[in-house]
Amino acid sequence: MAHLRQHADEFEAELKQAVSLGTTIMAASFDGGVVLGADSRTSTGNYVANRVTDKLTPLCENVYVCRSGSAADTQNMAAYVQYYLQQHRMELDREVSVSVAANLAKQLVYNNKNMLQAGLIVAGFDKKEGGSVFALPLGGTLLQVPFAIGGSGSAYIYGFCDKFWRPNMSAEEAKKFVVQAVSHAMARDGSSGGCIRTVVITKDGVRRDFVPGSNVPQHYGELGAQYATAMA
Amino acid sequence: MSIFEYNGSAIIGMAGKECVAIGSDLRFGVQFQTLATDYQKIYRIHDKLYLGLAGLGTDAQTLAARFKFKHNMYKLREERDIRPSTFGQLVSSTLYEKRFGPYFCSPVVAGLDKDNVPYLCGMDTIGAIETAKDFMVAGTAPDSLYGMCESMFRPDLEPEELFEVLSQCLLAGTDRDALSGWGAIVHVITKDKTNSRTLKGRMD
Amino acid sequence: MAGFNFDLCKRNSFLESKGVKAPGYTKTGTTIAGVIFKDGVVLGADTRSTAGSTVADKNCEKIHFIAPNIYCCGAGTAADTENVTGMVASQLDLHRYATGRESRVVTAMTLLKSHLFRYQGHVSAALVLGGVDFRGPHLFTVYPHGSTDSLPYCTMGSGSLAAMAVFESGYKDNMSRDEAVSLVDRAIQAGIWNDLGSGSNVDICIITKGKVDYLRNYKYFMDKTYVRKFPVCYPPGTTTVVREKMVALKDVDVIEGEASEAMVID
Repeated sequence: MAHLRQHADEFEAELKQAVSLGTTIMAASFDGGVVLGADSRTSTGNYVANRVTDKLTPLCENVYVCRSGSAADTQNMAAYVQYYLQQHRMELDREVSVSVAANLAKQLVYNNKNMLQAGLIVAGFDKKEGGSVFALPLGGTLLQVPFAIGGSGSAYIYGFCDKFWRPNMSAEEAKKFVVQAVSHAMARDGSSGGCIRTVVITKDGVRRDFVPGSNVPQHYGELGAQYATAMA
Repeated sequence: MSIFEYNGSAIIGMAGKECVAIGSDLRFGVQFQTLATDYQKIYRIHDKLYLGLAGLGTDAQTLAARFKFKHNMYKLREERDIRPSTFGQLVSSTLYEKRFGPYFCSPVVAGLDKDNVPYLCGMDTIGAIETAKDFMVAGTAPDSLYGMCESMFRPDLEPEELFEVLSQCLLAGTDRDALSGWGAIVHVITKDKTNSRTLKGRMD
Repeated sequence: MAGFNFDLCKRNSFLESKGVKAPGYTKTGTTIAGVIFKDGVVLGADTRSTAGSTVADKNCEKIHFIAPNIYCCGAGTAADTENVTGMVASQLDLHRYATGRESRVVTAMTLLKSHLFRYQGHVSAALVLGGVDFRGPHLFTVYPHGSTDSLPYCTMGSGSLAAMAVFESGYKDNMSRDEAVSLVDRAIQAGIWNDLGSGSNVDICIITKGKVDYLRNYKYFMDKTYVRKFPVCYPPGTTTVVREKMVALKDVDVIEGEASEAMVID
């Protein structure tokens, strides 16, 4: 019965493949808050397992995380951080600071670096520091930065971000900057795509938004882009 | 080589009308060397329940001893024989416990349940139960056994004909397998008796 | 929880190092799917299980019970899907006894994902979990490594691409029950006919507020293509019997639940 030699067991191969967020994620601070952005593609090998993924996960009321890497690892990590922060919040009885959230995430990544494949960006707003962004790449280094990009798609937009990020942007400007950057990454990176999700966190709270796939800004070489028609 | 091919085995379980039969070949070998031709691969759990264990001989014997022990404990606690379907679950969970280091055995459970309804099930080595209303096979030549059963089986056979169908399936099936054969034993369980017959088979 | 036993691992890996192959497991190279409709969830599955390239079971059940308001389709290693759903079902059962409240779908999902995450993908169960609780209908996919997605329509298993093609072209928001059932049926059939790992029949499970319709073999395609008019019959005595041992069973019927003094002690 079950002893038959497994010929080319493609189901096995399919199941063994980790579900990964070959991704574009970013976060940028602005005057009075932060904005987080991400594409929405989750893939298993060549197959898009989810085209409307939400990679912007809340850690607590005022801190969010952008997840890249293994979907399983990052989801479960986020769950652990949520749990620790809820306890911390209850003991403290006031707003959790972004740096505490980022440090908790760092400890998990650093202590389990051999087990985890997780590249995170932690960003949020607290009354003491205002908006802050922390990059938390693979090995468990924690860096506080004015803006951060991550995931496979980020390689395509380093130049764009270096050129167009400015300090003291308004919320609207920052959000526009993030959407544009992510759209450029999605255009060039095969493992990023779908729609663009954004989260803006300020003293007034959290505002979620998303740009449907059909409304994502188009660029040179894409079907229907104005440059393409101009050339024809 | 697959571990199943180390000792060689062939088992068929078949359901009839208010009766059930289970049969196996009698060869015990180490790869191509035959060591015994009277090796029992079917174990009696109680009057109306038999367990066939195909696969690696050492694991089959270990498991048989464990199940005998478990059934004795069950009888002491419950003061009755175990029901075949319950026993099927017991075998399954015993095998799944060793999910990451399994016994190399695939079992066939055959018995008469309440009101003499036949119960038949088989499993892979980690206890994925597969219940069957008709027949169940295990061993080194499942493809030829499946082929025989698939074309010869008819529902609601009487005990005597069930015996003939199962025996012919087993003998013909094992003729195409070098690692099993050398005679067979078939147990037919009915509501008032069990009949165990040793069959003459090819000795090559 | 769980409590696996690793006693035989050393021996088995020794055997493997000697070039002896361990046997494969029964898989459900499957098509399973689920969709949310106006007032609930529809789950669907094919009924083929395979061992290598042999069809091990032509009519197995892949839609597992989790709670009275939650069901779960399983793909992957048959033993794993069976046991992981069984474990979560029993945990939720105890939880309901302790709290007296209806189980939530997210609770089932969290229990599943944390178990699968703990075993780092070695427990290979790919699941479509669906149910209705006081917050309304929910549908999740759970991957063997422990990641989850929440989606309005989803597919899993080797036939997932065929089934997803049907969903992507046919899904609408707020479908009626009949529309949803027919869509899932078509998705599963796309897997049955176009994916070799899936086959046989269509099982459907419709979960709405306070009601579950489990339509086992909603579509039945398993009738024999050819039945012999005059089947081969072996007359008694065809097989040569060398030895025969008849054991008459004692005329005692032990009825379940009663302690009987007539227990036979061997």
